[in-house]
Amino acid sequence: MSRFHTSPAGILRLYQPFLWLYPAEFRDEYRRELCLAFVDRWREERSIAGLLFVWFHAVFGILYQAPMEHYHMIVHDLRYAFRILRKDLSMTAAAILILALGIGSTTLVFSLANGLLLRPLPYPQPERIIAVTESSPKDPNETSQISFPNYYDIRARTRLLDDIGVYASAQWPIRGEGSAERVPGARVSDGIFRVMGLDPLLGRTISREDDLPNGPKVVVISEELWQRRYGRDPHILGKTIQIDEDRSTIIGVMPAGFHFPDRAEFWIPLHMDPAKAPRTDYFLRAVARLKPGVSVEQATGELQSLLEQIHRENPAVNNNWTAHAIPIRDFVAGTYRKAVITLLVAVALLLLIACANVCNLLLVKASARVREIAVRTALGATRRRLLRQLITESLLLGLAGGALGVLLAYAGIPALLSLIPVNLPLWMNFSPDSRVLGFAVAVSLLTTLAFGIIPAFGSAHADLTDSLKEGGHGGTSGARSKFVRHSLVIGEVALSVILLAGAGLMIRSFLALRTQDLGFHPENVLSTSLDWPETRYHDGPPARALLARLTAEVSSLPGVISTSFSSGAPLDDGWGRIFTIEGHPRDLKDMTFINHIVVTPNYFHTLDVPLLQGRDFTEVDFDTPHIVIVSETFAKKNWPNESPLGERLRFGPPKNNEPWHTVVGVVADAKHGAYKGEDRPSVYLPYSTDITPNVLLVRTTGDPLQLQQSLRSRIAAIDPDIVVSRVFSLEQIIARVSWQDRFLTVLFSAFAALALLLAAVGLYATISYSVSLGTHEIGIRMALGASVSRVRAMILREGMTLAGAGLLIGLVVAFALARLLKTQLYEISPNDPATYIAVLIVLIVVAALAAFLPTRRATRVDPVVALRHE
Amino acid sequence: MRPFLLSRDTFHILVALADRDRHGYSIMQEVSERTGGEIRLSPSTLYSAVKRLLEQGFIEELEERPDPEHDDERRRYYRLTKAGKRAAMEEARHLEKLLSDARASGLVRKRA
Repeated sequence: MSRFHTSPAGILRLYQPFLWLYPAEFRDEYRRELCLAFVDRWREERSIAGLLFVWFHAVFGILYQAPMEHYHMIVHDLRYAFRILRKDLSMTAAAILILALGIGSTTLVFSLANGLLLRPLPYPQPERIIAVTESSPKDPNETSQISFPNYYDIRARTRLLDDIGVYASAQWPIRGEGSAERVPGARVSDGIFRVMGLDPLLGRTISREDDLPNGPKVVVISEELWQRRYGRDPHILGKTIQIDEDRSTIIGVMPAGFHFPDRAEFWIPLHMDPAKAPRTDYFLRAVARLKPGVSVEQATGELQSLLEQIHRENPAVNNNWTAHAIPIRDFVAGTYRKAVITLLVAVALLLLIACANVCNLLLVKASARVREIAVRTALGATRRRLLRQLITESLLLGLAGGALGVLLAYAGIPALLSLIPVNLPLWMNFSPDSRVLGFAVAVSLLTTLAFGIIPAFGSAHADLTDSLKEGGHGGTSGARSKFVRHSLVIGEVALSVILLAGAGLMIRSFLALRTQDLGFHPENVLSTSLDWPETRYHDGPPARALLARLTAEVSSLPGVISTSFSSGAPLDDGWGRIFTIEGHPRDLKDMTFINHIVVTPNYFHTLDVPLLQGRDFTEVDFDTPHIVIVSETFAKKNWPNESPLGERLRFGPPKNNEPWHTVVGVVADAKHGAYKGEDRPSVYLPYSTDITPNVLLVRTTGDPLQLQQSLRSRIAAIDPDIVVSRVFSLEQIIARVSWQDRFLTVLFSAFAALALLLAAVGLYATISYSVSLGTHEIGIRMALGASVSRVRAMILREGMTLAGAGLLIGLVVAFALARLLKTQLYEISPNDPATYIAVLIVLIVVAALAAFLPTRRATRVDPVVALRHE
Repeated sequence: MRPFLLSRDTFHILVALADRDRHGYSIMQEVSERTGGEIRLSPSTLYSAVKRLLEQGFIEELEERPDPEHDDERRRYYRLTKAGKRAAMEEARHLEKLLSDARASGLVRKRA
């Protein structure tokens, strides 16, 4: 003792702090020994250099050894954890599987969110790219587009935008040099390429001169098109390509992966004249690049004041519309945001249930380990050491579950994408990246914390003497742990009720959507876009003759009931126009849109839309073009008290003075533009020399898709240059326009089903466990003459009490939360009683089953065996 | 060839404990003296090795004080166990074999 006190205490102060680098256990064990040895060594030296050497030697020793000690401890803990987990393989497998389901689902939804909302667009400085839109002050969602003259003026006046470009995407037939095909492309202004910030691989992009009203016919093609149609011909520049009717000269090739907008494979100039294009024609989309340091809000401010300025200069077209700047990612994927967030919340609830489930498993297991832990404590393991050991076990479970979960998510992505029937923009990438992996790791760690902490603390703090005395049944079977276990089960049930209610509402909403009255019968109708060479069949008699021939040929195919053409397939067409009723002049800013649909005779018959008043179109109407048939809503809205027959209306802004059209008939409302929500009223025009409709609609006796092959060959026989594309049944079109609802419903339901399963397993496990704890009691009761059914009822009551409590809490919370789903629901109230009743019934049935199964085991207890159980 | 069973430091510690039981600092001194100051264990290296040797059962901690005259009640004394002795001897034999192999091959000159 004296030696320690005579030692230089000062130098110890320069040594001891480094001991904190050691794991606590090691430090507690050897701190004194290390200090003593250090001081002894110190006193051996006399020279300053020697003393310095001793200090450095000792400190570097710690710096080298302390991490090694940590490493040894971790390896030791892991080895021990492995042994423990291997000893109870079924419980380990169950825990890993449950965690994998939870973490996997979460990761899956996150990779969806990552692809849709988080991954940066593959363009330089994507945060500077914005969309520019004009919208009606009455309905901010009315358009996401811009008119050409407004774009033109904004481009000339902006100070905050580096550049702005407009585009209109479409598919055009490409003919010659190989088979004719319809290829997605875009008409663009020169600014598009500069806004996106990518240089061509070969040649140049469209210049401002190319885009003048009478500019040259040039085209920039994608690397993929270059590869597919030209085998990467190095001399491609200067060659021509037949796009629709025009031969355009190839001036550039964009690098692989550039497909803006959406899936475009080629780009041609707009060639629009700002002096001739109407200011209220919104069919272009605009993108712009902000100057460095300019915010989206500043850009919106500038755009709005520019548009006001333009309106002041052109009072005749002032419709009070306003301009907006929207970050490009929101513009493209903003509509998915709500759905994705809904799914993330759902999956987070599922993950919580999984955590509660594993937590419960560990608690049950902990009670079986009380002895082991008591023995280790008696042998001198500190509480901290035990805690660390237990958390290591949890961590191992969490990481194994996480790894398996990531694999599940990885496997699930193709299945998820197969639920999306439309072509998402090519740049959307859903494969797991470092962000997804980082997320999965973070979720696994959080999960570990969530499910591991309660059992670990419970076990590490269990009372030593009690545990040893109780012979392995003490510890967590005590009142406190019973309370924890029961609370967990109640929580699981409550969470699953919330998910079930959400899923129920979505299923009901989806069914309401899919069974809504469309006003026509989409079953057995095939829709096809046809593109014929317009030089051969220009509008007027040649096109009319072609349509007549096509109609006759297609109608003669076996199984065809009715054939017609329209300017757009129902629910796949958004062509809207503003209009004026004769005698009711309206200001431009008060005008509303109608669906403008050009059809051949037989259209209403083909779609099964009833004619309510007046007459249908006939072949003769081709030559009397200024007549229309209107939808019932349109008629009621505009001529509430008189017959619409003989009344007149015209299209376009008032100043255009388009010809008047006379109403000759009224048909029932049939949805044409919007599938979900309110559609615009429709006005139908007969085909004429002005417009030739090119969407072929065929009603068949059987599956319309069966007709595809014979239809294609019949059309090819008429003219092989007619390009057939977008061959869908109307039901496929409906599936395409409602995919988001279906997607959300399917995923949400899957998560709810999993949640229900996990909650049922949790309930079952808990009841089973209390039965096994209560074997003794059951034995006594049965020995005293309690009937089997009485014992059963007792156990069932315990289970149903837990389930009932969870159900009650879940229903209350679900009821409060359901409001958040409101915008996702179609014609179903978030408080829809049928849904909640269904949830109640499903849950009671499942809970009864989960609680009943353990009772069978209990009642098979032999009283003699049970009483000997101690 | 068989890998070394013990690390250099560990082997020295076992050797230091071969003649008598020692406390930590005494082990450090003995190793230093035996190697002519060539190997100086730092306290941390020593106790990490001690911890490992205790876990492996090669040494054990004494409960009684072997050296009452210079006793310090706070010092822990360590003793070589049978297993530790065996391990050290095996290691020594192994080193001997290595050396004789090296001599046989002429790499190391034979002793006169």
